[in-house]
Amino acid sequence: MSNPETYDSSSIRILEGLEAVRLRPAMYIGSTGEAGLHHLVYEVVDNSVDEAMAGFCTEIGITIHIDDSITIVDNGRGIPVDIKPEVGVSAAEVVLTKLHAGGKFDSNTYKVSGGLHGVGVSCVNALSEWLHVEIWRDRATWEQDYERGVPKAPLARTGKAGNKTGTKITFKADGTIMETTSFNFDTLSTRLREIAFLNKGLKITLSDERTEPVRTHEFFYSGGIVEFIKHPNRGKNVLHDKPISIEGERELPTGGVLTMEIAMQWNDSYSDTIFSFANNINTRDGGSHLTGFRTAMTRTINACARAAGLLRDIKDANLSGDDVLEGLTAVVSVKLPQPQFEGQTKGKLNSDIGGFVTQMVNEKLTEYFDKNPAVMKRIVGKAVEAARAREAARKARELTRRKGALDSGGLPGKLADCQEKDPSRCELFLVEGESAGGTAKTGRDRRYQAILPLKGKILNVEKARYDKMLSHDEIRAMITAIGTGIGKDDFDVSRLRYHKIILMTDADVDGSHIRTLLLTFFFRHMQELITRGHVFVAQPPLYRIKKGKSEKYIKDDKEFTREILRRATENVYVLAGNGSGQQRLEGGELRQFLMQLDEFEQIFERLERRLRDPRVVELLANPAYAIDSKSDFCNKEEMQKVAAALKDLKLTVKLVEDEEHSTWGVAYHDETFGDRTIGHETASQPEYKRLRFLARAIEKFNRPPFVGVKETRRETIENWRGLIAYLKGEGTRDCSVQRYKGLGEMNPDQLWETTMNAEARTLLEVRLEDAVESEEIFSTLMGEDVEARRKFIEENALDVRNLDV
Amino acid sequence: MKCPICKKEVEFGAPQMPFCSERCRLIDLGKWAEEEYRIPGPAAAAPAVPAAEAGEEEEAE
Repeated sequence: MSNPETYDSSSIRILEGLEAVRLRPAMYIGSTGEAGLHHLVYEVVDNSVDEAMAGFCTEIGITIHIDDSITIVDNGRGIPVDIKPEVGVSAAEVVLTKLHAGGKFDSNTYKVSGGLHGVGVSCVNALSEWLHVEIWRDRATWEQDYERGVPKAPLARTGKAGNKTGTKITFKADGTIMETTSFNFDTLSTRLREIAFLNKGLKITLSDERTEPVRTHEFFYSGGIVEFIKHPNRGKNVLHDKPISIEGERELPTGGVLTMEIAMQWNDSYSDTIFSFANNINTRDGGSHLTGFRTAMTRTINACARAAGLLRDIKDANLSGDDVLEGLTAVVSVKLPQPQFEGQTKGKLNSDIGGFVTQMVNEKLTEYFDKNPAVMKRIVGKAVEAARAREAARKARELTRRKGALDSGGLPGKLADCQEKDPSRCELFLVEGESAGGTAKTGRDRRYQAILPLKGKILNVEKARYDKMLSHDEIRAMITAIGTGIGKDDFDVSRLRYHKIILMTDADVDGSHIRTLLLTFFFRHMQELITRGHVFVAQPPLYRIKKGKSEKYIKDDKEFTREILRRATENVYVLAGNGSGQQRLEGGELRQFLMQLDEFEQIFERLERRLRDPRVVELLANPAYAIDSKSDFCNKEEMQKVAAALKDLKLTVKLVEDEEHSTWGVAYHDETFGDRTIGHETASQPEYKRLRFLARAIEKFNRPPFVGVKETRRETIENWRGLIAYLKGEGTRDCSVQRYKGLGEMNPDQLWETTMNAEARTLLEVRLEDAVESEEIFSTLMGEDVEARRKFIEENALDVRNLDV
Repeated sequence: MKCPICKKEVEFGAPQMPFCSERCRLIDLGKWAEEEYRIPGPAAAAPAVPAAEAGEEEEAE
């Protein structure tokens, strides 16, 4: 073995001649276009970088001249100049004229070496109109000129060099072969920056003399690839400030040393950016070093995460390679003797070194994680999140995947489809509950109405309550029945099977929850159905009033009240007040008064549930007090009046000042329910405001006692509550009133007649705003804001009671 | 409005609204598929009223 320090003609072995290069340039440099042209520069630069990797070169300069010739100069040892005895010419001439000649084929000269194809600088010479080489070595200067690869004279010693060493090559690409001879500054700059990053401490200068003033980039990175990855991570949220840096070296069994340098930093994005290099060559297609790296990352991060107990929540308690690499920016750079590349662009490392890379990364990364557990936790957290997302995406795909061809048409079994095939005439009813579904199936017009029942309910064993949800199978059935598919790439409105999708749910809280679920689902995943006006809500009746042979269906409580009061006021009138002030109320005036009273009663009850004591609510409703707006609460005298009235109710009362708002409030104590305060905050509640408004509206006629007169019967009524009850009773006299708790209580004919028959029914078209509202309700219910959720459910609970009145 | 998954602000009318990205949309769809979305109903054993009343008392204090 020769001493690697001895770099003379004995190190250069001749492998092949170079006549073929000019004939088939693309075979050697990839192309004769721009890529090939720049490749010529890299071939020369690679020689200089080899010197740098071997530790003999610290600076490389590249200068583009005005005629598009280019100079590459380094301060390495200089190409050997001694005569190769077997050919009788200088080693430099061999390097410049013989294909596959060069120090890099002797792994003792260069432990590691770049050079894309190993075709070397001889190719550059062959494809140059002219080339000039200058070598400083052994205290002398040597020069030689070539034309299209042919030396004009042997290498000649031309002067003194002192201690200076290095090589300078200037060439002009041959325009008769290359399609272009004009260099692109930015292309060269990008590649040279990369090289500088990969060889920390190496200074590379690129100058362009074609521009005035001369444009110059200087690349020098003492931090090497650690600095490199900060570049693509700029402007991203990184999970850890300092990149993780790993370095290692290993003796290869095939001789020589493998060195490995890795820098990595995670950010919060969802993609990974991993640059891999072997001997400074960007291995765009990866290869054994990258595979080894990925294996190690998966193994190490899983092992560390498992040891720290961070994988309990995910399926199989295992993170995939994609999971751990999500958001990673990394540079994997290896250097090794005689690298083997493959692939069309030689962008893939083929040398068998994956196992060594894996071992080294395992070892060093584990060590790093042991010392930086906080960083490890953040990285694992990100990977766990990625694993969950991947799992969710898989589930999502399953949900929408069409079934095989064996399945007849692939339609869900629970769907009762219609006969009509023209979607514009078809309707799909999504019906809450199996029994209502059955009723709808019997009641429908099967020619154009399809029914899909949804169960929508599950017992939450843990919390001992019934939750509302759409099961996997139900969502799947719904998606399949609708037919459009789902998602950005898959949704196709032209495949819609029904132009009307009608939500038919009970008029109760459960029903509204199912509706919220469905609308939220449509809003999130099939929004176009809503914006195109394909989604509707059916309006099943809440009441049936039957009198003799006549039947009337009524859709909600308000309409029901109006209807029975209308019936009552047809033959009843009311006398309000006593003596000379007595007023006679009848017809429309009476109806209006009663409707107001009815609402007043509801609001009254709401406030009573908050304040507990009906006497207090009564007092607050009294129009005699000026306690409407916030400014009223600034009036201490008025509040004293309220306090006095409360005292009369035998409550312990105290006037309290709210200094923050300069208002007065009345605090009272109730034996059973503790302390309460009536202040300006009470007055800001919408219920309170409505109570005060209605109290004023009814004031005129609210003069008990009342007398209800129907034909010859007269009935004395003590107060407004009694009046409402009396008239409601009169309104439903001789009627049978049925309140439907659910769709299932109707028989098929009734359901058809009231809700499904296109001639008679009312449908509400769902607009985007309605869906947004559902989305908001849904978000509140699913959200982490416990307070908002509690409030919502509480208000909902109040509504339940209203419905059940 | 906010992306239902990552809570990032999403402009009304954005292509994936209400989601910020295809990834969040898929995660959401996965949650539907996994039956993770449930609207809590009233307690099965006892009626909902006591719970609601407890809440009201807190509010009034």
